[in-house]
Amino acid sequence: MSGEKLRPEDAPPSLYDDQGNARFFADPAMDRFVAVVMNLAQEVWVQEERLLALEAEKTGKSADPEAKVKEFIDRVFAPIREA
Amino acid sequence: MTVELQHPMKPDATPEEIARGRFTSGIRSLILNDLAADMRAAYDRRAAPAFKKEHDREPETSREAHQALRGDPAFNIYSAMRVQAQKMVWASVADSVEREADRLSHEARKAADAPGSLTLEPGLDVPKNVHAIDVHLMPGSYTRGADSLEAGAVYDRGLAVFSMGLMGANLDDIGLSMSQYIKQRFPDFAPSRILDTGCTIGHNTLPWKQAYPDAEVIAIDAAPGPLAYGSARAKMQGQEVHFQQMCADDLGFEDESFDVVWSSMFLHELSKKQRAKAFEEAYRVLKPGGLVIHMELPPNEQMGAFDGFYLDWDSYYNNEPYYKGYRDEVPADLCKKAGFGEDTFFEFVVPSIGIYGEEAVAEAAKGDRAEGVGQETTGRLAEGVMWYGYGAFKK
Repeated sequence: MSGEKLRPEDAPPSLYDDQGNARFFADPAMDRFVAVVMNLAQEVWVQEERLLALEAEKTGKSADPEAKVKEFIDRVFAPIREA
Repeated sequence: MTVELQHPMKPDATPEEIARGRFTSGIRSLILNDLAADMRAAYDRRAAPAFKKEHDREPETSREAHQALRGDPAFNIYSAMRVQAQKMVWASVADSVEREADRLSHEARKAADAPGSLTLEPGLDVPKNVHAIDVHLMPGSYTRGADSLEAGAVYDRGLAVFSMGLMGANLDDIGLSMSQYIKQRFPDFAPSRILDTGCTIGHNTLPWKQAYPDAEVIAIDAAPGPLAYGSARAKMQGQEVHFQQMCADDLGFEDESFDVVWSSMFLHELSKKQRAKAFEEAYRVLKPGGLVIHMELPPNEQMGAFDGFYLDWDSYYNNEPYYKGYRDEVPADLCKKAGFGEDTFFEFVVPSIGIYGEEAVAEAAKGDRAEGVGQETTGRLAEGVMWYGYGAFKK
């Protein structure tokens, strides 16, 4: 299904790799690494949220997960700001 | 934030799934607000000046802004992260949809006797743009799971993560904002039969039934699964809507049988040919005095090069092949070519009713195009979003 390629008429083939995936960096490995870093950050957050829940159970005080996830994301991804 | 769905088919998600959804919504917020601003700064500081040096002028079109930005570090990181975040949206809901397939069917059966209907056409030739590509990187596209509830559940749950709360508690902010705008702007207009074309799960159909409770509301889409889900969802929410499997460019309705033909975020998923035909069909089925009304991305002709490209990005990198072609067209021309009188055409920007409130919508309805289309907030799913729409009356 995803093998079908419909593209805007003016899209140069250089925007995509030979599998049809969008590519952005000069080294295609970088496109993959960005995705890996995001997946890893997500998995760390999953653990963090579980810990928050355990701590809340123990102390009776719960943290706002929305505020926490924003802090977490801002902290982890700070190096890519203003690229 | 992930929106909590307002009906019994909402996910019974595990703590891990909830955390994954929360992260995905949060990372999208970083990308669509902060990294988007970084990319704009890099465009002004680096990409546009470099283009000017080479061409002796600023980039003038969306295409030239794209050309200027390709390879820029801020564009690269924004784009690579946005693609991955989009994949994470659908991945974050896939497990719960699969696990809960039986429960969803059970919930749908419980609501089956409520007012409303579902009519599928198994013989319908579902167009290629609906099934043959993973539209907005959604695995299996709109036909995933055939006529089961799967595609609709993925779409509904995915949108709850994707929208970051900007599409309303019931994912209906577009329909609510637009229908309220029309009601306020044309207080004497009282439609008795309303058609939503390309409705997916009917999330932006329901507000029209709420705005005009006495009207008969019919919603069509080419894909069967989202319709089946949308019908169950509408019944659960006590809204009588009739869902029918049908293509917008080949309507099986009589001439002059509707007062309103509506769509939201739909026209950009059609080829140019299908779109022209859909406009002709809307004109045909509207009664004299009837209204065609579309919510869409604002057109390129009304935006600067960067803002135009910012929206066109999806066409190249988010499996929306017709998006740019649509945005290059001129809404007034589309209506005129289909037969609508030029003097009946109107376009407008509505503040999101969920963000700005009912009064802001009423204010907008009082003044013609009170808000300019060219603003960054128009059509962009980011903080402070406003919706662009246009319409025309059949004489």
